[in-house]
Amino acid sequence: MTDIVLGVSLHELCQCEGLTEQLIVEVVGHGIAQPVAGNNVVDWVFDASSVHWLQKAVRLHYDLEIDWIAVAMVIDLLRENEALRRENECIERRLKRFLD
Amino acid sequence: MEFKDYYSILGVQPDADSKEIKTAYRKLARKYHPDMNPEKGAEERFKEVAEAYEVLKDAGRRAEYDELRQYRGQGGGGFEPPPGWRSSSGFGGAGARHFEGDFSDFFNSIFSGAEAEPRQRRAGFKGQDAEIEMPIFLEETLSETSKLVEYVIPVYENGQVTEIKKSLKVKIPVGVVDGERIRLKGQGGPGQGDAPNGDLYLHIRLVPHPLFDVEGHNLVVTVPLAPWEAALGAKVTVPTLSGKIHLTIAPDSQTGQRLRIKGRGLATKGGHGDLYALLKVVMPPSANDEVKALWLSLSQKTGFDPRSQWGN
Repeated sequence: MTDIVLGVSLHELCQCEGLTEQLIVEVVGHGIAQPVAGNNVVDWVFDASSVHWLQKAVRLHYDLEIDWIAVAMVIDLLRENEALRRENECIERRLKRFLD
Repeated sequence: MEFKDYYSILGVQPDADSKEIKTAYRKLARKYHPDMNPEKGAEERFKEVAEAYEVLKDAGRRAEYDELRQYRGQGGGGFEPPPGWRSSSGFGGAGARHFEGDFSDFFNSIFSGAEAEPRQRRAGFKGQDAEIEMPIFLEETLSETSKLVEYVIPVYENGQVTEIKKSLKVKIPVGVVDGERIRLKGQGGPGQGDAPNGDLYLHIRLVPHPLFDVEGHNLVVTVPLAPWEAALGAKVTVPTLSGKIHLTIAPDSQTGQRLRIKGRGLATKGGHGDLYALLKVVMPPSANDEVKALWLSLSQKTGFDPRSQWGN
């Protein structure tokens, strides 16, 4: 049985290729990901979802050569789009139940 | 091996300047980047575009590519670099982040020569993370569930991509919600040397249920009622995720009313959400003469105008 680990520490994140402490601080500074624990930078812990968006942000920054403010906007819109898409699917299912 | 025309991949002329190349790349990258475009085939197209840009944005690599471009189509069939070809510009730096170690054979045959490192993950970094979708039935979220997870991890070695098939048994914790991600440490791609493995992330997707809709930790079940049940009140049997319950419908109930059934929703970390019974009054499919007479009598006695809010 494989155990689930809930948080990802800053140290673990910095072991990923392309991620440095400085870069992560920058991404957090733009509100793209927020640590769920840790008062000091070295103690930061992220949840799995934040890691997903953080890595996506870094890929977009380098692959599309866009600055962090634009990346933050893109990530906000992608998140909102995902949430709305899910809500829309849910509402469509409920509407169908009501009309059938 | 097929010769790749990087200029036509980017949609630019061979004499395009670096600004035109950059503009063309940005436009195509925005369109096909897999983080922006989930459609099938977009990722492959982005890889091509990123590879073309990786070569054409660098003056040294572009000059070498232009030189080789003269040999395309010679010797019939596929393309081979001329005997003794060694790249002097090489490739070892950071390129597009998305596809580390995943450029084409054509690219590798040209640029993984003399000074270039083979395209593989640099030592010291952990292996690649992976993410897969994990469909979970609503019933499975009520208690800790063991799921078998089968997935494929790409491994980059000496410029070649191979795949490892993996299967794991995972305990899905109670109360997972749609869209949540779960980390399985060390179950991603292998690390180079002493570096740790990457992680596997399970992206939880709750499978749509034939009866129940999800609102956070609450559930909603639509309860069809006959007009007389709504008018007179009734006792109906309602399904829940864990067995059936009896529900009392009050007289004069309406379509759209929600009745709360406490603690019969999805599990949370510390308890349970609620189940809402959403009432829906439905008409019988057809009426015989006797029933029609009863409806007529009802219409004369109630004096009910369902469109009174429209005014005159």
